[in-house]
Amino acid sequence: MLTFAFRKILTLLGTMIGIAALTFVITNIAPGDPARLVAGPNATEDMVATIRSEYGLDKSLPEQFIVYMGDLVRGDLGTSIVTTRPVLEEVMRYAPATLELVFVAMFLGIVIGVPLGMLSAVYKDGPLDQVTRIFSISGVALPAFWFGIILQLMFAVDLEWLPVSGRLPLVTRPPEFVTGLLLVDSLIAGKFSTFWVSLQHIILPAIVLSFPCLASILRVNRAEMIEVLQSDYIVAARAHGISSFRIVALYALKNAMLPTLAMIGLRFGWMLGSTVLVETVFDWPGIGLYAVSSALSSDFKPVVGVTLMIGFFFIVANTLVDLAYAWIDPRLRKA
Amino acid sequence: MTAAPMNTQIDTPAEASRPLTFRERHASQIRQWRLYAHMFRKSFSSMLGLTLVVLFLLLAAFGPLIVPYPEAASGAINMSAKLQPPSSTYWFGTDEMGADIFSRVIIGARTSLWIGVVITGLAAIVGITLGIIAGYRGGWVRAVIMRITELFLAVPGLALALAIVAALGPGITNCVLALAIVWWPGYVRLVEAKTLSIKEELFIESARSIGAKTPWILWHHILPNCMSPIIVKMSMDMGMAILSAASLGFIGLGAQPPSPEWGSMISVARTYMPDWWWYSLFPGAAIFLTVLGFNLLGDGLRDILDPRSRDR
Amino acid sequence: MLGKIIRNIAIAGLLASSVLATPAGAFERTDKGNVIVFGGRQAIPVLDPHIRYDWSTRMMQQAVYDGLVKYEGDPAEIKPWLAEKWETSEDGKTWTFHLVKNAKFHNGDPVNAEAVRYSFERGLKLNKGVAWMLKDFLAPEGISVVDDYTVKFELKGPYTPFLSFLPWWYIVNPAQVKAHEVDGDYGQKWLTDNEAGSGPFKLGRWEPNVLYEAEAVTDYWKGWPQGEANRPAGVIFKIIREPAAQKAALQRGEVDIVEGLTPDDYVQIARAKGIAIEDHKGMTTFGIKFNTQQGPTADINLRKAIAYAMDYDALIQVYNGAASLETSPIPDAMRGHIDVPGIPRKDLAKAKEYLAKSGYPNGGITLPYVHVAGLEEARRIGLVLLDSLKPLNINVEIKPEQWPNMVANGSKVETSPSMTSVYTTPVSTDPDAVAYQYHKNSWGQYFAMMFYDNPKVTEMIDKARSSSNWDERAKLYADIQTQIVADQPEVFGMLQNRRWARRDYLQGFQFSPVRFTGEVDLYPLWVKSE
Repeated sequence: MLTFAFRKILTLLGTMIGIAALTFVITNIAPGDPARLVAGPNATEDMVATIRSEYGLDKSLPEQFIVYMGDLVRGDLGTSIVTTRPVLEEVMRYAPATLELVFVAMFLGIVIGVPLGMLSAVYKDGPLDQVTRIFSISGVALPAFWFGIILQLMFAVDLEWLPVSGRLPLVTRPPEFVTGLLLVDSLIAGKFSTFWVSLQHIILPAIVLSFPCLASILRVNRAEMIEVLQSDYIVAARAHGISSFRIVALYALKNAMLPTLAMIGLRFGWMLGSTVLVETVFDWPGIGLYAVSSALSSDFKPVVGVTLMIGFFFIVANTLVDLAYAWIDPRLRKA
Repeated sequence: MTAAPMNTQIDTPAEASRPLTFRERHASQIRQWRLYAHMFRKSFSSMLGLTLVVLFLLLAAFGPLIVPYPEAASGAINMSAKLQPPSSTYWFGTDEMGADIFSRVIIGARTSLWIGVVITGLAAIVGITLGIIAGYRGGWVRAVIMRITELFLAVPGLALALAIVAALGPGITNCVLALAIVWWPGYVRLVEAKTLSIKEELFIESARSIGAKTPWILWHHILPNCMSPIIVKMSMDMGMAILSAASLGFIGLGAQPPSPEWGSMISVARTYMPDWWWYSLFPGAAIFLTVLGFNLLGDGLRDILDPRSRDR
Repeated sequence: MLGKIIRNIAIAGLLASSVLATPAGAFERTDKGNVIVFGGRQAIPVLDPHIRYDWSTRMMQQAVYDGLVKYEGDPAEIKPWLAEKWETSEDGKTWTFHLVKNAKFHNGDPVNAEAVRYSFERGLKLNKGVAWMLKDFLAPEGISVVDDYTVKFELKGPYTPFLSFLPWWYIVNPAQVKAHEVDGDYGQKWLTDNEAGSGPFKLGRWEPNVLYEAEAVTDYWKGWPQGEANRPAGVIFKIIREPAAQKAALQRGEVDIVEGLTPDDYVQIARAKGIAIEDHKGMTTFGIKFNTQQGPTADINLRKAIAYAMDYDALIQVYNGAASLETSPIPDAMRGHIDVPGIPRKDLAKAKEYLAKSGYPNGGITLPYVHVAGLEEARRIGLVLLDSLKPLNINVEIKPEQWPNMVANGSKVETSPSMTSVYTTPVSTDPDAVAYQYHKNSWGQYFAMMFYDNPKVTEMIDKARSSSNWDERAKLYADIQTQIVADQPEVFGMLQNRRWARRDYLQGFQFSPVRFTGEVDLYPLWVKSE
């Protein structure tokens, strides 16, 4: 088991370096000159050159790459040319907002996806199954950015139930920093009104983000449930006169949970990626918005940094899932 | 796994005393397809998907001929009629330049079809080729291909595509290119796994033993056997590719004006929220229905062609 | 910890029903007074006054820093600020400034001549941001401290527009900056999100990309124009990226003033109760710059044909009427502006006449029109252009580009596209700020993408900028404007109005055309409570 884990972690490191190389090369093939942007509209050529040399942009691409990889090994993601701050510091500042959003979305996905999946397994091929099927496929087909706009229109602008965008009303001071997750920090600080308003702010973006994830959770849960419900011991349990509800709720669900959890793990990294859109629509100050605004100003170090970060979470989640499976089923360790 | 028997039959009937009709020669296939069609028709969601896809294809083919203001898609402006709400003259209202949104949405189907076909096509060609090579050759070739594939799979596609388009500059061609670059690895993984399992099958062994050349085996045996999951995946991907391109368009990296592309339309339209709601509503609904159509179709096809993977 | 969280969740649940979302009431009141909230779309990545100066950044710089002089009013005038008076030598090369004696930095240090000298030296040596304005005429060694409150600038040559740039050179406290210096960086790292100024505000909450707060300085050395009783406790600059969200926030009273709405939004929101629109004629010119050196647009007849085919009325319609057509390359609010007679207006017959004389008598060409990606109005103007040129059988390819790429391409004749849409805001009120864009030395800059080359004009510009006699300069600038229009290096577009939407209780708004789009002088604002 230990060697298996060790091998997995080695692969993980290799992949990280690969991603770094990949994104670095991709973002640097273009002719754009970010130094010009930050030098200001009237800057003279020598002023642009000053900035270029300060950020090492005057070096050749291979040289820049070597410098970047060297820094990366030391845990330095480079410096954003627009904000002049270290990318790692900025990613760390924006990451809690994104994580909070993803956690809440995931929570929604689970509490809606699992029961729905269960029900459609029990009533397989019935009308309910058909409806949830269309519902789950719709969830994947909904353009997140458009769905977000429609929700804003309905619940924020028209009904005025919820705020349009942002994380907190602007006069509300964020609670003291502990985890960076406002919902948690506000409770630690005992500020319930802050907890309440931040909950109001997170609901719409979390719903939008949860839809595709909900769909896959539903689907996996349904499939597993069907398989479990057909298995011998459930049939036996039924023969012993245990009520259907107990069978489904206790025995079958317990067995179907592991693959569902695995799917949740896999979806985690994917959701980090799609925060790019949701955060843009809801003005959510997370790493997705940071990546988009950096990309739009040709500031590539943050783009590489965020991609790397998302890739990192993605791979870690995958590795954890693999390890969990291997722990349960030793046959898989050879893979 | 599914070793579809229909592809392994021998094409030369030995005791052909009289020329067989097409119907007789392909009797088993016809039976099979009848069964498929029956199963497909029985499923409401599959039929819904098929209807949406057919409607989308029809609009893409004949859209410019049926819309009331075809010039709206080529940049005709009419500033006196800008931002009109939906009416009998302008079914979906007009945009900020006075162009008819209905016409632009309908003609936009063609752009989306093109986007979907190119991305999926490029990705499938590259992915299938690499996948077959990896699965069939094995050894270090497979190791290299699969490592690179995993690398791409480890980065969420949209984030990577965003980085690529940002570097290349906005525009529909760059968008499509970027998405094709992040899309192919899915096919490699699929085809490689399939190839690995097929190449150990008896009929491949026997074909090789009677001296069949590798390309011939790949073309006549391996590829047809991979076809069902590929078709399912391509149908799903058509929708997702359209959705992803629209997402890039929304961020502001998509199609150049005046060409009508749904995502870019929403990108402009969102600044006209909420008072001019129709502007973003209709292009978004078009994306949703198109993607939904391809996904439902793909899902329905999977039920038939690849029943085991459905419950995975 | 966990127990505490769970307990608190339970209490929160109970409280939830009682603290239902109450719409925020008008401006924010804190125990210190009213806080004005500005909803803007652009963040402030770097506050350092010698590094950056886009509109949002400069708005905050102007709030926390003081300059020797300050622009105020419409038309913009230079007002004494840290310098109470100044004199120029006969030859126009030496400028002496006398500082006020009561100005002090936020930490209590006096603003003295050494602080001024250090600040200018810092700006010039860093060679970033504002440096370009003075670096050709002023060396760090040319600045000297005469006594505690007198500072002298010796220029390399006579340079009349010198004074017009000084409002953008803010004075930092050398003691604070030096205390935070890292590896001889002139305190750059520290000044990124800190200030060392003497302005009417100091920094409060600073949450990058979310909000930036400026707190009023209670005993600001220059006092408050709205009176101590009316002065706000502070201003919050809140980042709201979506116009829809900006509008909603203004209507709900969560913000008191917003910028950057779409032209249609302004028309629509003006009807809402309790909202007033600030609508002022600005100095930002819009032009479609031709590449006059290479490609089809090197042909002056083609350029004229395009200029006469352009639908100028539609340009105004794009802004819903909140714009006026350019009547000269130099904006109306600038000294020396004349209405150039015969500046092209839409005239298809004339356009076809010029086209017939050009190398493309039947059209049949496709010309690129490049605009900055995301600039909505520029995109719409592209559509207007496309529509306008259809009768000439000229096709337009609208190409959005990222700003850095656009500038990079536009820096060389060979890569510069045939047509580029460019908005230019002159940084000073001196006509040289615009005229110099047509000087050959400006080639390579984004506003000189037309690569205009007329030796006669170049010579006149040089003469005008070194002359200190206004009448002579005025005459020269009139000739310069006429000649540039005759050469048609660009389609002269329009001056868009500067607009803000504000709650009607927000008082003291002072417009000055020399400020950037969106930029507001926060100092005189106050809230009138009923």
